[in-house]
Amino acid sequence: MTQKKTERGFTVWFTGLSGAGKTTVSQLVAKKLIERGKKVEVLDGDMVRQNLSKGLGFSKEDRDINIRRIGFVCHLLSRNGIVAVGAAISPYKAIRDENRKLIGDFIEVYARCPMEILVERDAKGLYKKALAGEIKNFTGVDDPYEPPENPEVVFDSDKEPPEESARKVIAKIEELGYLEPEKTPSGYTKEEEEKVNERLKALGYL
Amino acid sequence: MKFFFKSGKAKIKRRLVVIGIDGTPHSFLQKHVDAGDFPHLQRILQGGELHRMNSVQPCISSVAWSTYMTGKNPAGHRIFGFVDRKPNPFQIFLPNSSHMGAKTLWEMISEDGRRVAVINVPVTYPPRPVNGILIGGFLSTDVLKCAYPQEIGAELKNWDYRIDADANLGRTDKEAFFEDLNVTLERRLDAARRLFEREPWDFFQLHVMETDRINHFLWEHYENQDSAYYLRFLDFYRKVDELLGEFYDRALNQAEFIILSDHGFCSVKKEVYLNQWLEDRGYLQLEGDEPHSVGDMGAETKAYSLIPGRIFLNLAGREQKGSVEPGIQAETLKAEIAEALLSLTDPDDGSRIIERVFKREDLYRGPYLEEAADLIAIPYDGYDLKANVRKPGITFKGDLVGMHTYNDAALFIKDRRIISQDFGILDLAPTILKIMELEPDAVLDGRPLV
Repeated sequence: MTQKKTERGFTVWFTGLSGAGKTTVSQLVAKKLIERGKKVEVLDGDMVRQNLSKGLGFSKEDRDINIRRIGFVCHLLSRNGIVAVGAAISPYKAIRDENRKLIGDFIEVYARCPMEILVERDAKGLYKKALAGEIKNFTGVDDPYEPPENPEVVFDSDKEPPEESARKVIAKIEELGYLEPEKTPSGYTKEEEEKVNERLKALGYL
Repeated sequence: MKFFFKSGKAKIKRRLVVIGIDGTPHSFLQKHVDAGDFPHLQRILQGGELHRMNSVQPCISSVAWSTYMTGKNPAGHRIFGFVDRKPNPFQIFLPNSSHMGAKTLWEMISEDGRRVAVINVPVTYPPRPVNGILIGGFLSTDVLKCAYPQEIGAELKNWDYRIDADANLGRTDKEAFFEDLNVTLERRLDAARRLFEREPWDFFQLHVMETDRINHFLWEHYENQDSAYYLRFLDFYRKVDELLGEFYDRALNQAEFIILSDHGFCSVKKEVYLNQWLEDRGYLQLEGDEPHSVGDMGAETKAYSLIPGRIFLNLAGREQKGSVEPGIQAETLKAEIAEALLSLTDPDDGSRIIERVFKREDLYRGPYLEEAADLIAIPYDGYDLKANVRKPGITFKGDLVGMHTYNDAALFIKDRRIISQDFGILDLAPTILKIMELEPDAVLDGRPLV
């Protein structure tokens, strides 16, 4: 029996520079998915480096191992009907694409933000240290970041609030068929209900 | 007569064609048949009488057609209006077929192994499965999703089928509205003809919604023969007359034939805003600077209204912000509101506005009675009961010029004598089942008319 796409697991993969909003938006997305009845696991880069990838550094080799590990766990979760939300800088396109290929049901979300804003924000104080040379191999400063060419979603965290970015991600997940559109108490989607409301209003019933 | 008999086998059960003409008054049809304006209906009526029929309370299409298709009163089918509410947590919603709590005629006919083709009847969206096809009515949102089986949607799209005319045009641009009504009706007819020819139906129903739409926006113009739109209005109905003739002829020698409407129409004298009335009298308390609906009511609220004329007590233990204690307090409040409503008058000429106020248990019975409004106010013809909040006054003359009436629906059943004098749309399902030689598997509220 073929499984309905809405019952399948999948991976939402957030990529982008440090401080670009991956963690914030991925948490919001995870919360919304849980509210909609999905089983969700979040694999956040900072968290993973404290356990699954403990001991790995920031050389290209170590970074690739880290991203492959997260990708592999996402793959295991996704194929068992869980929604895996990965949020890691994942600077190299080739490794992200490897994960996409491995997982299949893969939605890439690019958290975009100009460097000057990131430096200005610098919530963790890391850019300051990196620019001062106190941290080496810092992505965007002295280590490369390869932006995705065709991500499913791009959000600009300097231009929109995280709630709007999360809404975009959920809308894309719906559009791709992994999530039933949200229904109103009438059983319509929001857009559909607006249509019917407008019709009933025109007829004087609302 | 291959449709009726097969040699050596049992008689094949009867087939039936039903044409629904939404909101077309009996009095209107009879008057123009008598005047010779509707030649097709005139010849059809040689095979029987056009009967005046009662609707249901409240007499709006969603409730009336749900009553028609289930043979149950509203407390038996659970559709009480175009809008309804869940009391706790308080939510307003638009009831559709997924909320309907009773089996439909076409589902009963399907269960007998016979095939149906049902087009555009209100409250059939989302389409529930049948043995045959069903195209949802005007609560549908997308042609591709309006039909069962779903593949029919793509065909409808190819045929440029339209779900409903654009009622906004009725307010803003009468010329464009006429055009839109005509095109919508044409497209519906086109789909109906194709399906009539192609589908192996035993029960075929085509619902014409455009009659209700034209009446809502132009009935007053029709009642004024000097209006620029009087003749256009009649011309539109001549088209409807033609389609009645066409399907009558199509049904000849192969199926029984019924025409019905669900309610009558009259001109609107005034729109009456019952929530404004309730607020003025201190029964309804709204919160916030710009309350949009009764969803914004506060805990001081004693009662609120949903369209048309349905009044709910803000009952403790039932409603989210319930403030009225069940028992004596609730009963006293109901009596008080009913009495005040009955004395409500039109400020312009002193006419009474409300003819009767029913308690729900006086009007309905069935498993969903508890979901009905506590009181149902029935207006005199011409007073259109609304439920919008924060209106500048209680009565208002707006741009909707037609409203529904209870006792002027129409019914024609070919070659059948209707024995009853006083009957309603509730009696149609048992009548149709009898004509189709089917035993209803549940006890219906109506009774067969033939």
